[in-house]
Amino acid sequence: MKSLLALAVVAALPAAAQVPVAERLRDAPPAVRRAVDSMVVLAVARGLPAEPLILKAVEGTAKQAPPERVIAALGALFDRLGTSVAALHAGGLMSPAPGDIEAGAFALSAGLDSSAVAALTRNGARTNAAEATLRVGATLRAMGVPAAEVLDLVSRALRDGQPPGQLAALPAQVQAAIARGATPAAAAAGAARGQRGGGRPPEPPGRGRPPDRGPPPRR
Amino acid sequence: MTLHPLIQSLLDDECTIADLPPELRPEGERLLRLMRLMGGEHIMVSQQVEQRVMAVLRERAARRRSLWAWLSTPLQLRMQVRPWLLGVALAGIAGVTIIVARRPQTPAAVVAPSPVEAVVRFVFYAPDAHHVAVAGSFNDWSPGAAPLARLDGGIWAITLALRPGQHQYAFVVDGQRWVADPGAPTVDDGFGRRNSVLAIDRPVAAL
Repeated sequence: MKSLLALAVVAALPAAAQVPVAERLRDAPPAVRRAVDSMVVLAVARGLPAEPLILKAVEGTAKQAPPERVIAALGALFDRLGTSVAALHAGGLMSPAPGDIEAGAFALSAGLDSSAVAALTRNGARTNAAEATLRVGATLRAMGVPAAEVLDLVSRALRDGQPPGQLAALPAQVQAAIARGATPAAAAAGAARGQRGGGRPPEPPGRGRPPDRGPPPRR
Repeated sequence: MTLHPLIQSLLDDECTIADLPPELRPEGERLLRLMRLMGGEHIMVSQQVEQRVMAVLRERAARRRSLWAWLSTPLQLRMQVRPWLLGVALAGIAGVTIIVARRPQTPAAVVAPSPVEAVVRFVFYAPDAHHVAVAGSFNDWSPGAAPLARLDGGIWAITLALRPGQHQYAFVVDGQRWVADPGAPTVDDGFGRRNSVLAIDRPVAAL
């Protein structure tokens, strides 16, 4: 049974991640490796994606976090993945893809609660873009936009029939307004108002910039 | 995309690699190589991406070689078969062939297009640092996989080709200090620090 689950784990991993798990975790303490083994088997048995758990263990090992902290982070992520599935179901997505589940878990980690994840799912599922909607909502929340404004902005954008590509540009619009001095809530409200007016051309999500010296020269 | 003015001159054929100061030559060489590969696009692929691609190509080539060696080696078969058994076997093969031929045809497998990588420029300001790298979910959090090049004024930069999707990352300063990107949204990493968030939804993210 365990070998069947192990096969299922390999099949469930994206192609890019099919470097052997043991190799990716070669520097991890034995306790972390054991925790990953058991959680991955459990995740696959419950229909949860395994790759985020493996990646979190790799991240914790790279950051030299204590084993108990890595295991706690894995447990929290496992719980978020489970909560994400429940929220996706509540939002009407009964057979979520691994990407949907990961996006829901990311939204939870960014500070949205399960009811907000369900609401975003419901909005996004209408245009078959639940994952993109959740990721945009999560990114906005990570910028400090309050959950209510996140829901308002995203649902308004979807209601106005914006294609997924333009939806993905919302965080950049909000970030540009924040960079100009607006609060996250005001920036989101401004972007929501701009939905009908067309708004300025979107910029990509933020990248690192040197503080206090202005942007580096552009090509 | 931000480039050092001398590297810009190199790419514009206004100078040669020998005209660059030694610290800029590796980046210049990489960019020239990639420009040739990409038909003029200024893209620097991380060392890890390059290694993965080469590993896959080598593996496929080796697989093809071994398959050809097996196919081209003559096999010697010695069989003793009773004629009535041979007849039964041939009838069986014919039956299976007819059954398979009568099955409804399914469409040929559709090969999903591989996700297009987007070009992202990471820029970090750290005038006192001796080494800066970017590590994230796109390179298995490897602190050595993507070192930034030092530019003028304490600015460090690297351009990477990343797959579309949601990525988390941090800068690793002097191999020890993990620092979130001050210009990007962040989330709790679960280890007491913050990860920066990068969403790539378009084929090319120009900066």
